[in-house]
Amino acid sequence: MRNLARVLAFDVAAPLASISALLIVGVMLEWPLWWVSVCSVLCLLIVQAAIVNIVLYRRDSVTVGTDDDKPGLRLAVTVIATAALVAAAAVGYHSWIKPDRAFTTDSAEVMRVATEVAEATATFTPADPNSSLERAAALMVPERAESFKAQFGPATADMAKRNLSAEAFTVSAGLEALGPSSASVAVLMRGTQSAPGQDPSSAVLALRVAMSKQEDGWRVVDVAPINSR
Amino acid sequence: MRGSLPSMPDMDEVTQSEDRRGGVFSGFGIASAVLGVVAVAALVMIAVMWSGHRASNDERSYQARSMQAAAEWTGVLINMNADNVEGSLQQLRDGTVGELNSGFEASIAPYRDVVKSLHSRTTGQVESVSIEEVHRNLGSQPGEGPTAPVSLAPELSTRTDTVLIVATSVSENAGNKPTTVRWNLRLGISEVDGKPMISRLESVR
Repeated sequence: MRNLARVLAFDVAAPLASISALLIVGVMLEWPLWWVSVCSVLCLLIVQAAIVNIVLYRRDSVTVGTDDDKPGLRLAVTVIATAALVAAAAVGYHSWIKPDRAFTTDSAEVMRVATEVAEATATFTPADPNSSLERAAALMVPERAESFKAQFGPATADMAKRNLSAEAFTVSAGLEALGPSSASVAVLMRGTQSAPGQDPSSAVLALRVAMSKQEDGWRVVDVAPINSR
Repeated sequence: MRGSLPSMPDMDEVTQSEDRRGGVFSGFGIASAVLGVVAVAALVMIAVMWSGHRASNDERSYQARSMQAAAEWTGVLINMNADNVEGSLQQLRDGTVGELNSGFEASIAPYRDVVKSLHSRTTGQVESVSIEEVHRNLGSQPGEGPTAPVSLAPELSTRTDTVLIVATSVSENAGNKPTTVRWNLRLGISEVDGKPMISRLESVR
């Protein structure tokens, strides 16, 4: 009974666990070429060891699991199997759990930045003409911030002269696409423009905000109206 | 020759190990047992991670299918012409579920008559499809009811997502110059038997 348990644990379960751990790592890494070769070499070694074990059992009637003179070998077998499984768990955390969590946090962060920039680009107060321009530019990648200011600087000056004010609030915003380093968000806003002596006019604005992940978080690469036609 | 009698040494082993068992477990035995526990823990962790990863993969592929369904449905809606109005309406109706489906005839009948009588040629294009993540109810707007998400009865659908669609269509009426219509739609997409169906249609104004 005890020997049966030892055979099952050390001669059967341990090599099977090691081989499955190697295969699981392959699934987790999505089988890159280098792992295909590493995995086949390691699996071959394990199968070889198992065959040697069987041959020696037929010769000496004792296996790695049941050999009382070689407890160190048994420990080595356990160490290998455990190491393989722990490595698989670590790889799984790295290639499954971390990206999944990053996706969730990124999607929240991307929505926050996108709505803020979209609202800022459609907001204007004559009293403080550059505030929302600066606010939007602060969340853009540096190259884009420069061209954005150059593009809309004159327009804001003109609006300030005519004492126009504009305000925009996000109604809905949705995730078009999100990758590890880039994202695209659609923002629907209700914008209201008012000029002195006129009724305010309001319209729905649809903007696409393209973003990329920088060292200091998600930054806007481009803001453009969706209905371009 | 011993190899041909596997039961014999087994008995030897048992007696031998019985002797050893009399004392404490050997250091090797304890270490192996501890490692075994670690291995089992790692195995459990792998199983948990696998199921979590599969769930989030399924979630993403379902969202992609929802977006696909919403885009196709809107594509039919914004490309309706006098020639294809009946077929289009049938297609639109087949894609809906719940209240939108039962009230489909009533809500769409006036639209059908307009399309038929105008002989307009409409070509539309979906410009943006996205899964809604943020929705604010700007209740201060007069004349607008609350836009609480009307989800289906739980026995009909387990979940309802909202897909935002921005589309443009150009209608050419006989004699008039083309008019451009901008569609900003919020579509409720409900999962019915694993299939995404349109359960709510709302225009953002």
